[in-house]
Order: sequence, then structure tokens, then C-alpha cells
Amino acid sequence: MKKLFSAISVAALLATTSAATAAQCTNDTWNKVMTRGKMVVGVKADYKPWGFRNESGEIVGMEIDMAKAAADAMGVDLELVPVQSSNRMQFLEQGKIDMMIATMSDRDDRRKIVGIVQPNYYTSGTNVMAPKALGLTKWEDLRGKPVCGKQGAFYNKIVAERYGAEIIAFTGNAEAKQALRDKKCIAWVYDDSSIGSDLASGNWDEFEMPLVSEDDNPWGLAVPLEEKNCIFGNFMSGLSYNMLADGSLVELEKKWGIKPTQFLADKLENFADWLEK
Amino acid sequence: MIRRIPGLDTKAATDLAVLHPFDPNGSTAPDGLLVSRWMAKLPLWTPLALAALIFAWPMAALAQNFTYGDAFDTLLRWMPFLIKSGFLFNVLISFFAMLIGTLLGTALGLGQISLNPVVRWFAWAVTQTFRNSPWLVLLFIVLLAFPFEIVIGTVIIPVPDWMKAVVGLSLPVMANISEIVRGAVISVPTAQWEASESLAFSRTQTLWRIILPQCFKRMIPPWMNWYAILTMATPLCSLLGVEELLTLTRQAMEGADNHPELLVPFYSFALLIFFLYCYPIARLTIRLERRFMVKL
Repeated sequence: MKKLFSAISVAALLATTSAATAAQCTNDTWNKVMTRGKMVVGVKADYKPWGFRNESGEIVGMEIDMAKAAADAMGVDLELVPVQSSNRMQFLEQGKIDMMIATMSDRDDRRKIVGIVQPNYYTSGTNVMAPKALGLTKWEDLRGKPVCGKQGAFYNKIVAERYGAEIIAFTGNAEAKQALRDKKCIAWVYDDSSIGSDLASGNWDEFEMPLVSEDDNPWGLAVPLEEKNCIFGNFMSGLSYNMLADGSLVELEKKWGIKPTQFLADKLENFADWLEK
Repeated sequence: MIRRIPGLDTKAATDLAVLHPFDPNGSTAPDGLLVSRWMAKLPLWTPLALAALIFAWPMAALAQNFTYGDAFDTLLRWMPFLIKSGFLFNVLISFFAMLIGTLLGTALGLGQISLNPVVRWFAWAVTQTFRNSPWLVLLFIVLLAFPFEIVIGTVIIPVPDWMKAVVGLSLPVMANISEIVRGAVISVPTAQWEASESLAFSRTQTLWRIILPQCFKRMIPPWMNWYAILTMATPLCSLLGVEELLTLTRQAMEGADNHPELLVPFYSFALLIFFLYCYPIARLTIRLERRFMVKL
């Protein structure tokens, strides 16, 4: 009886110690990925050139290349799950995806839900595309006017609240741009880098990007919140740092035809190896 | 000579107007096969006319470098992917939703004519609930309430989104099939029940051997009508991010740089492909309905 009692107390003691460790780092997702030999990454399939489909239907893009780099370093297979701005954080919370690289702006409220990993890997600002004929010069010009946008973009709300624009949100960018042409709205609010490449394509000669980009907001990739400071989060932090420091992100930017951003050039400079300076 | 009815198609003979009483089951009843009947009435060349209309769409004057012709080239290049990974999924979803809906609906419909009042009431309540709920709401509930994978011991069974969509869409189908089954059984004259009882058939035997074989033929046209309606409802899933034709159409347009010129060709293609699939079903439905009609 005494033996049994001591056995139970030892078991209880073990249970409490393991529970205490578990509260800090269970590494559930990391372990799951390693056991299955497959990492499920949430990416965009409707955000060219960061994540989009090619004509044979495969999802490709700059962020997909980053996901591949992560999977290769971990030695696991990669499965891509297309996510939307409206469901990406829920997918990560539910565990449907193990990680997310989905053009997500690093915002304070989002950090409370998912584990956004530092350093940020990219940035973009908000701007509008508007007909040259309108001659917009400042954001205040948008007050009380209809402005087209895409559903799920965080800056829709900001532009509406700060400058009193009336946002008309569409499910797709093609619809939003058609509405701009049909004069249903005076401008189309979106990422400055995307607008820049549209204007450069020569299809939008009567349009311009007249305002000063606002809310330059770094993007963050995310792991589950409880693993941000555990193996997974630390690993992704390291990967993100390395890709910024060795210039591979700059190369990817070039590969996907994105206008070079000051952000990546600055990071390359800041993170440069002091021995090679 | 056509008989004229005063007050209806000629001038009323009296100012004391007479209305036909509303009879929900008689000649004034709503047509259960409305969708199929409307579609089957369209002449055979409708799909061709539709395609011609899309191609003859005025060449967008606003286009600069990217012309309407380029948009069609883009569509042609995306077509195999849109059909293979998109539309086939719609068909797959409709197929499984119909299968589940039919099996459950038949059981529910037979429950509605059960002699046991509890079973009858329960079947009626379930039928009415799902028959009168918005499809999109049912889809949302199923998609958000179901887990994305089921873990039994060490076995992990993934539940992809399209499978949840199948379950979500099968619920309203189930309720409507339940009504079809109930209606078909009731449509058989009660004298047959009495006659078979006098021949010492049990209730189960009467149902399976005498009543249901006659119902089967009557149920086929409305059943096919519901299949067409269900197929046309599958793009609802795109609102929930299920990878089907409409979702992939949007992604394809994104992949092709979101030129607004793409909108008409791509969405028209979606319309055309759904029409090409549902039109033969509608014509067959109406043909079968005519063939199985009770001839007096």
C-alpha cells in the first residue's frame, strides 16, 4: 500500500513538472510537421506576383519561393493552401495551416492572434490609382467620394475613417478596376507596388498614382501564437533574417518582376556581415 | 374554335367579378418543375447563340495594349485548368450532395408518412427546417462548425472544404427530396392501400411492393429538376473559399493581371459551361415528365 502510494505521488510529481514545461513550449505544430514530413503553408492565390496561379494551375510567386526555402531547410514536403485575407488567421488558429506567408501586414491587433515573426520580410504602402483628368493631389480630395477597393484589405477602413472616403469593396481586383473605368468610383485604393506595375504595363495611360503613399506597413509571416518563441518561431525568424541578409529576397523580387523596394535594400545594408563590410 | 371565358380573355358579361378559388394543389398551383420547364423550352441553338453573343461583344474601346482579343486568348489558355480543376469539382460536389441528399431525403420522406406520430412529427420538422433555410446560411454553418480533420487514435482523416460543402448543400436537397417522396406516396390513390390490405399485405409490403414502385417513375422528373437547381447552386461555395469554378475564375483573372477586359469572357465562360451541363438535363426532365404523365 505504501509502495503504491509513493508510486502515485512520484507519478503526480512527474505529471506536474511535465505540465509546467508544457506550458512554455510544447512545439506541437513543429512536431506535427516533422512527424508527418509535410508542412502546410497558407499562401495567397490571388495576389500577383506574391502568390498567384500560373496557367497550369500551380500556385507560384515570391512568397511561395520563401515557403519552399523553409520546407527545404526543414527537409519536409510542402503543401500550399490558398488563403484569403478574411480567413488566413482563422486557418492558422484552427491548425488547418502550420504557417502563413500571405502578404499580411504586421499590425498590433493581428499580433494578438497569430505569432508574427520578426524581422519583417517585405513592406508596402497604400496609394490610389485615379484618372489623370481628376487631378487628385492629396488624400483629403477623397472625402465623401466613392473609392473602389478589394474586400479584406485593412487600409479600406483606414482610408474611410481618416479621409472620409466611401469605400466600395469588390471580391476581386478585376471587378474593382472595371468599376474605376466605369466611373463608379473616383479612385482605386490598393498596394502602391501593385498599382506601380499596372501603370508601367501601358494599359492605364489615362490613370496615375497621384498621392503620397501612406501607412508603409511591413509584412510579416506567421506561425501559431504559442510557438512564436519556440522552435518554429525561432527557426522562421532565422530564415527571414538570412533571406534578408544574403540578398535572396532582393533576388526573388527581381525574379518576379517587382519594382525594387527601398525596404529590402535597407535591410540588406543593415544586416550586412560586419566582417565583409 | 377556342372557348372564350368572359372576364378572363373577353369582356366581362357582368360586373360581379368571379375569382377562381386558390387551390394550392390544383391548376393554380405553382409549378414544381419551373426551372427545368423554362430551360427546356429554350431552343436547341441557345448555347450556340449564347457563345456567339459573347464573342460578338463590342470590342472594348477603352482597351489600350490589352485588347478584347487578348482576353479571349487568355481565356483559351486557362480553359483546360478551369474545366479540369474547377467545373469538374462543381460536378463532383453536386453529384455527392445529390447522393447524400437523396438517401437521407428518402428516409425522411418515408418518415413523414409514418404511422408513429413521433417519427412523423420529427421528419416533418426536419424537412421544414432545412427546406426553408437559406442555402448559404446552411453552408456557412457546416463549413465553420465541422473540423478540418478528424483524428481517431493515430489515424488522421482530413476533411477538405469541398467535402464540407457537399454536406452543406445536401441538407436543403435532402429536405426537398423528402417532400418529393412524401408527395409521390400520397399521390397514389388510397384505394390501393385498402385493396392491398384486403389481400393481406402488411403495411411494409404494401409500401415496398405496391406503392413505391409506382412512385419511382413520378419522382424522377422532380428529382432531376432538383439536381439541376443544385448544380447551379454549387458556385455558392466560392463565397466560402472552396476551390471550384468561380473561385478559380477569380484566381485566373488575378494570374492574368486583372485586366478588366477579362471579366466578360471569363464570367461568360462560366455561364456557358453551366448552361451546357444543365440544359440537356432540363430537356430530359421534361421529356420524362411527359412520358410518365398519367394519361386520362
